[in-house]
Amino acid sequence: MLQGALAGLAAGGLYAVLAVCLTLMSRLVRVVNFAQAATGMFGSYVSVWLAVHIGLPSWLAVAVGVLLGGALSVALGFVVSTWLAEASTGTRSAVTVAALLLLISLSFILFGNKPQPFQPLLAGPAFTAGGVVISQVTVATVGLAVVVAVASWLLLTRTTVGVSLRALSERPTTAELLGIPAKALSAAVWGVTGLLGTVIIEIVAPSQSNDATSLSMLVVPAAAAALLGGFRRLDLAVVGGLLLGVVQGALAQSEQLSIARYFVPFLAIAGLLLWSQRKEVWDAAR
Amino acid sequence: MRKSLAALAALVLLAAGCAGPADPNGPIVVGSVDSISGPATFPESSQAAKAVFDAANAAGGVHGRRIEYHAVDDKGDPTAAAAAAREIVGGDHAVALVGSSSLIECEINAKYYQQEDILSISGIGVDPFCFTSPNIAPANVGPFHDLTLTLLYGSEVLHLNDICALLEIAGNTLPYYRAAIAEWSTITGRKLKYLDATVPYNGSDYTPYVVRARAAGCKAITVNPVEPDSIGQLKAAQAQGWNDVTWLLLTSVYSEQYAKAIANAGAGVYVPAEFYPFTDAASPRTKKWRDLMTRNHIPLTSFSQGGYLAATYFLQVLAGIKGEITRESVTKALREMRPISDPMAGTPYVFGPGRTHHDNTAGWPIKLLTGTNRWQVAADDWLRIPRRT
Repeated sequence: MLQGALAGLAAGGLYAVLAVCLTLMSRLVRVVNFAQAATGMFGSYVSVWLAVHIGLPSWLAVAVGVLLGGALSVALGFVVSTWLAEASTGTRSAVTVAALLLLISLSFILFGNKPQPFQPLLAGPAFTAGGVVISQVTVATVGLAVVVAVASWLLLTRTTVGVSLRALSERPTTAELLGIPAKALSAAVWGVTGLLGTVIIEIVAPSQSNDATSLSMLVVPAAAAALLGGFRRLDLAVVGGLLLGVVQGALAQSEQLSIARYFVPFLAIAGLLLWSQRKEVWDAAR
Repeated sequence: MRKSLAALAALVLLAAGCAGPADPNGPIVVGSVDSISGPATFPESSQAAKAVFDAANAAGGVHGRRIEYHAVDDKGDPTAAAAAAREIVGGDHAVALVGSSSLIECEINAKYYQQEDILSISGIGVDPFCFTSPNIAPANVGPFHDLTLTLLYGSEVLHLNDICALLEIAGNTLPYYRAAIAEWSTITGRKLKYLDATVPYNGSDYTPYVVRARAAGCKAITVNPVEPDSIGQLKAAQAQGWNDVTWLLLTSVYSEQYAKAIANAGAGVYVPAEFYPFTDAASPRTKKWRDLMTRNHIPLTSFSQGGYLAATYFLQVLAGIKGEITRESVTKALREMRPISDPMAGTPYVFGPGRTHHDNTAGWPIKLLTGTNRWQVAADDWLRIPRRT
């Protein structure tokens, strides 16, 4: 079980990074970005294409892919913040579902539906713990999750940019009237999360199933993780992501429980929703 | 007057909509149901069959009649697969189906083909119904015999003990895979170290499964994966630093792209190819197929081998039919045909009168070694499942 739990850490770190991105987006630009992983997938696919067909050195191909992932995210943010500035979170999030489907279809059209020959950025074991090899990818994903969460927290609580961002998410119109550059700031949030999402997918894609659909659907377990912090708290999003990976890894170790690991994200989502609504009275919760 | 009008209208309707098969000198209609779009696509099989029929038409057709080939997309969707079969069989009055390759088509349409008394030579049979129905006889070995073969190769040729199985199960395939493993046990007297049939399709991270297999002491792992999953599994083993594990896989991963994506193959990936390995470009066995595919710009894959063989077998049977070529005469000819050999297949093909058609029992071993990024032929003859006496 312990071995399995450690083996699930790589996936846990990945979920955690994406969950932090989702939480940031939800807090700062009032969107649950369903295309979070899809933009990363598309950026990564372009990197592979540049490396394989154009012959760019792999660091340059990855850099271009990451920038493209960020740019796609900014473009999506532009659409949402221009035409749906005052719309509800639900409506704004619905646009990202369209973007998710568009990116999956587009990658099928451009790159086919076969797996891509990803060149690993990090490969092989980093060290051994409890009889389990902790891979370099695990170290990178878990490290990145913690670093991103801490950096975001510092930015939001200790800097003027953070205060402006928080103002913007609470009262977008008021903030804009006070002279806070709303458009630029929200584009920056979209861009940064897009970059982060692409970086993490570039790191993990070579070491797992990397067809367009499975990469894009990583947003489901990430959303389950973000839900632990109610899409507000970064620390809980990291904990949720790591926990989800660890539980899935542990469940895979036993024949009887292995089948349950598919449902873990969904069980987590359902359970957390029920828990968060536990004090609601009937009328308000409906 | 009114009565005669009604009678006339009925006659017209009968002539227009419910006409029987076309005239005996018109084209011979042949159909196929394929997953051309959808979650998993196999377009090459029907493309290859079409290339064979086009070449036959260019050479004067069969008994002076052209072959008209209708390949319909089932989108991997059950409703579309059922509709496609009805369009071909009921609408176009096809005499047979040739070169079909689909994830679900056999299961959905097997009963319908029986009801309409039409036979199907699938290019690539995937689901169990392709091999357990009286009216479908695929040209390929199929994943179940392929699993028996890959286990035989691992235990009898590579002399590996401690083989573990990680199976990705879709639909009702588990009992058939279990039967394939049981067949290997019967032949060799060996048992798997363990079998895990809960491995997910399109899983994101296979590390936990790899860790479990390593902890259990598996020296070799047999999987029935789709390409992306297999790549994920190999990379997970690589990340764990587990480099002395042998992978006993199936023809589903036999592609150039897969070989390019695998830099570290552990102690080697071994596959019993269902047809003579197409990557052996110099071989005379595949020359005719290769030339035809290259001329028609069809990818060189196992799928196009299957479609090519299905159409080649079918043409030979058609050429031997005396008298009219109709669905009845084609069905009869296929049921009574003599076995046809082809250098690309290890077992002579025969449709025959059987209730099931799972007779193709030979694969050609190939391997993919670490650092080579290409498939190599690993034997100089077919590996066969021994006949039980």
